[in-house]
This record gives sequence, C-alpha cells and structure tokens, in this order.
Amino acid sequence: MIFWEIAKRNIRIHLLRSTLAMLGIVIGVVAIASMGILGNSLVLTVSDSLKTVGDSVIVTPHVGGTMGGFSGGAGGLSSLRITEQNFQQIKRASAPNVAIPVLQTSDRMKLGVGSDDIVAAIYGLNPDDVPDLLKLKEGGYSRGNSGCLVGSTFATDHNVKVGSRIAIGTDGNKGTLRVTGIIEERGMAFDVSTDSAIVVTKDWFDETYNRDDYDKVVVKVKNLDDLPAVKTSIENQMNKRDKIVDVVDTRKTMETIFAAFGQITTFVSAIGGISMLVAGVSILNIMMMSVTERIKEIGIMRSIGAQRKEVMSMFLYEALILGVVGSLIGGAMSLLGGYAISSVLLQTTKYLFVYSSLIHIVYGMSFGIVISLICGIYPAWRAANLNPIDALRHE
Amino acid sequence: MDEQPVMVFKDVVKVYPLPSGDVTALDGVSFKVNRGEFISVMGPSGSGKSTLLNLMGCLDTPTSGDIYISGTRTGDMSDKELTELRRDRIGFIFQYFNLFPLLNVIENVTFPMMLKSQKAVDPEKARAALRSVQLDDSLFAHTPMEVSGGQQQRVAVARALINDPDILLCDEPTGNLDSKTGAGIMELMSELNRKGTTIIMVTHDLNIAAYSQRTIRIADGRIVE
Repeated sequence: MIFWEIAKRNIRIHLLRSTLAMLGIVIGVVAIASMGILGNSLVLTVSDSLKTVGDSVIVTPHVGGTMGGFSGGAGGLSSLRITEQNFQQIKRASAPNVAIPVLQTSDRMKLGVGSDDIVAAIYGLNPDDVPDLLKLKEGGYSRGNSGCLVGSTFATDHNVKVGSRIAIGTDGNKGTLRVTGIIEERGMAFDVSTDSAIVVTKDWFDETYNRDDYDKVVVKVKNLDDLPAVKTSIENQMNKRDKIVDVVDTRKTMETIFAAFGQITTFVSAIGGISMLVAGVSILNIMMMSVTERIKEIGIMRSIGAQRKEVMSMFLYEALILGVVGSLIGGAMSLLGGYAISSVLLQTTKYLFVYSSLIHIVYGMSFGIVISLICGIYPAWRAANLNPIDALRHE
Repeated sequence: MDEQPVMVFKDVVKVYPLPSGDVTALDGVSFKVNRGEFISVMGPSGSGKSTLLNLMGCLDTPTSGDIYISGTRTGDMSDKELTELRRDRIGFIFQYFNLFPLLNVIENVTFPMMLKSQKAVDPEKARAALRSVQLDDSLFAHTPMEVSGGQQQRVAVARALINDPDILLCDEPTGNLDSKTGAGIMELMSELNRKGTTIIMVTHDLNIAAYSQRTIRIADGRIVE
C-alpha cells in the first residue's frame, strides 16, 4: 500500500527525530515492563518462601486475652501456652486433618571442641509429626532422643553435616545431640521457621526444658478448600466464651500479602506509565510537526483524489511504526533490564523467564503501541480535514 | 465526438464571507466545455481565475448556481464523492509541478492509479504514460528532486493522464519553466489535445494562451468575452 510506503519513507528521511520519538517509547516500555517484572519477581520470591505453609491453620494463644484456659496464668506473654487438654480440643475440631503441637525455645549450643557458643532456635516436635511438616534434603528423621535435625542455613553457616554433634546449653550442660538429617530450605514460615534452627524430639524437649504444654498448634489441611471451615471449627470450639486462641488461615494471610505486592507492582508500573505518557506527548509533537511540514503534500494528495481516511491512515501508519519499533526495542531492552534488576536486587533471575513476568513486557509493548496510535490520531485527523485549497496554497 | 459537454457552469456565484464583508469572487458565471476542446482562462490578478479553477476541479462548491462534470451535478455531492470525481474524471497540472518528493518518478505516476484501484498496480501503464510525454526510461527510478523542471512537469502531465480523465486542468503549467522548456510542454499539451484530451488552462501569458482553441476572459468575477 502506497500510504504505508510513504509513512515508512517519511520516518526514514527524518531518522533522527523519529529515533528520538521512538526512544521515548523505548524508555516507557522499559520502565513499565521492568517495574512489572521486578514486582512480579518479588511476589514469586515471597510466594516461593511461603508456599510450604499455604495449607496450614496456625493456632496460638490469644495475645491480650483472659488466658483462662492456658497454663501460665497472667505470668506474662512468654508464659502463654496451649495445654495438652486444649490441644486435644483443637485436634478434635480439626479432624480428620493432622494437628501438630509445636514447642519452641532458644538456647546456647556448641558445635565442636574449641568453637564459640552460639544461640539458635530449638523446635520440639513429635517424631511422628515431623514428616508431615518438614522435608529433608539429606540424612534421615531422628527417632530417638539423642538425635536432631538442623535447618539448611544453620548447616551451611556452621558447617554442620549429618553425623555432627551439637552440645546444647552452656558448656553442653543439657546434653549432646547427633545430627541425623538436614531440613530442606523453607524460607519465611508462619508455622515453624527451621532454616536457622534445630529440631529435637518432643520428649527430649519436655525433659530438658521441663515443659508439658505447647507454643502453638499447626493444623495441616489436606483439602485447601477446607481451610476456612477448619479455622471456623477451631474458633467455635476454643473461643466459645472468651477469645483464648488466635487462629490464622495461612492461605488468607498469603493472599493478603500477595494482594499488597500486587498493589505495589501496579503502583511502580503506573510510575513507568507516566514516562510512557511523556513519550506519547513526544509522538504527538513530532506528528504535528510532520503534518505542518507536509500540508502542501496533503493538499496535492487530496486534489488528485486521496480520500480523507487515506490521508489519515498515512499518519496513523507513521505513529504505528514509531510505536511498534519503539515497543519492540523496548521489549528487548526490558528483558535485559529485568535481568539486571533481578540479578542485583533479588540475586536470582529464575523468576524472569516465567509467564507472569514476561507478560509485563507484553503489557508494556501493548501500552507503547496504543499510546503511539492514540497520540497519532489528532495529527492524522487534522491532516485529513485540511481544506485542500488552503493546503495547496501553503508554502 | 460525444454530444454531452464535459463541463457546464450555470449562473455560478461564489461568495466568500469575510469579517470585513462578503467578497463575491464569481458573479453569475456560465459556460460550457465540449469534449476535445482546448480552452484557456485569462484575466488579471483578483479577477476570479483561481476561484473558477477550484470550482472546475471540484475542490470547492459554489454559493449558488450549478456545475456539471460529464453530466453529473456536483453541488450536492459529499466530500467523498467529490474526491472520487477528482480522482476519476479530472487531471491536475500545477505551476510548481507538485510531485511527491518521497516517491520516485514511476511511483508518482502510479499514485493516482493506486488511489483508484485500491491495490497494487502494474507499473507498465505508468511507464507507457511517461514515454508518451517523452521522458527517458533512465529517469523513471529517480526522485523528483533529481530531474529538471521540464522533466518534472512531464511527470506531472503523465500523472494527470494516468486515470484517463475527462478533463485536464492546468494552472499556469509553464509559469515555472524557461520559455524553451515551456514551449516543449505546450507542444506536448497540443499533441494530447489532438489525440482527444479536453484541456482547460489558466494562464496570463498570451503566447501560451495562443496554443488553445478558445479563450475565456474573466474580470471582476464575470466572463467578459
């Protein structure tokens, strides 16, 4: 089509100014797509960290409650515990799902002769419950009271291997445990954060720290659709008269977190969108210049039989070419930008080449093309509606 | 010869409303142009020549009166219909050639063909048209800026003729050429007219007007002879 050809040649003949207009689109696409990719990568990073606990209901003593049903009375927040009787009630309310009681403290420990003492979190779990909650990347689950599991970060930081020995307490006064397995990385978790902790048997924990009650109960829900029902069931069972437990549906919490990240992504992409609007104004400006320079040419075209819509199409083609080429370059640069930002800020690029990240490049490119076309409409309309006689007289 | 005139003006009036008062550019102009005629329109500056040319070329519509092109009344036509009429029935030749600088010689000539057919066209007809105006084949791929004024005007003539129009409208076709080149263009016009092309030419050069068979003289918006 001749008008397409004329549009192409006009861009080529004014290459510098066309390139500058395209540069605006490139920057706009890169801004939108890179911000979108970064936001999405953040969501995926958090999602990966939290996904292991997205199927849980966490029951903890109600902070600020009457504490009537719990051991410890009014002895301060640290003494709030879930009793064995409370646990059995929670277990019944959440059946047939698995309810796992969790004990938690922290203590000094020594990892070898001559090494300095460190302080780390210690979880106490019933050995039967451990496979439901934790996956091992090395070794095996400990059955006896002399064994323990360690988190992956703990193992790496302190050079702990399967078979290593850990002396618990000051100068190992609470006994020595042998590492039987290393737990897979779990990241942030609502239930148990074991990456920098050790996990011991409930019996060893009870004996060592003289405890017969629990810090929290984790209910692993088999069918995710049952999460709200399990939460309600536990609340109805435990908080009949007074609110004595806080019950958290982790999926709901994750949804809230993801919604917040989604809003952040939208916000930063919108900031990128502003640069695209500036690029659009640049396109509008250049198209208006193009129309003004070619008024006589438009007059000739109209006089020898070009319809208004054909003149309009010629300028829209020009805007389209600027938008498409700018968006394609911007899309390619967004990949590089996304790669750089992900590498620097997140230290990983594994979230870049996934659909939910790459779609932001498509969004950015589409926005670039649409903005270019929209900003080309007025100049094209103006060109198409010039009076042919006035246009022919134009010098 | 077709009995129906290719152009008829009946009591045509054109008034331009201006803030300082209405200006009557044409005041009751009537004439006919028969197929195959070669007519020149002459008159002093401000006499209404340009207004007449715009009306003849369907670039403007009259305030009152009727204009017929090949029997079709133009007064009630939409912009789209007038554009189609210009494209299919009228060829324009301008004083300053008015070729498209972004297109080469052959593309300039095929441009009106593409407007008419709405698709890619065979350039052979354009080549034939260019040869008929005595333009050398070696110039076909050049841009207008790369050829002389006389050659540009020959390209413009070929472009004007490419859709086989009923009328060729020329606005001072030699006004931007030296006398020798201008004479060559007028010889070409005469040749086209001999082959049957109807030509209406606006000029104020008596030597150029001498190539026509009939002259319409206009003064103060009226035909005086």
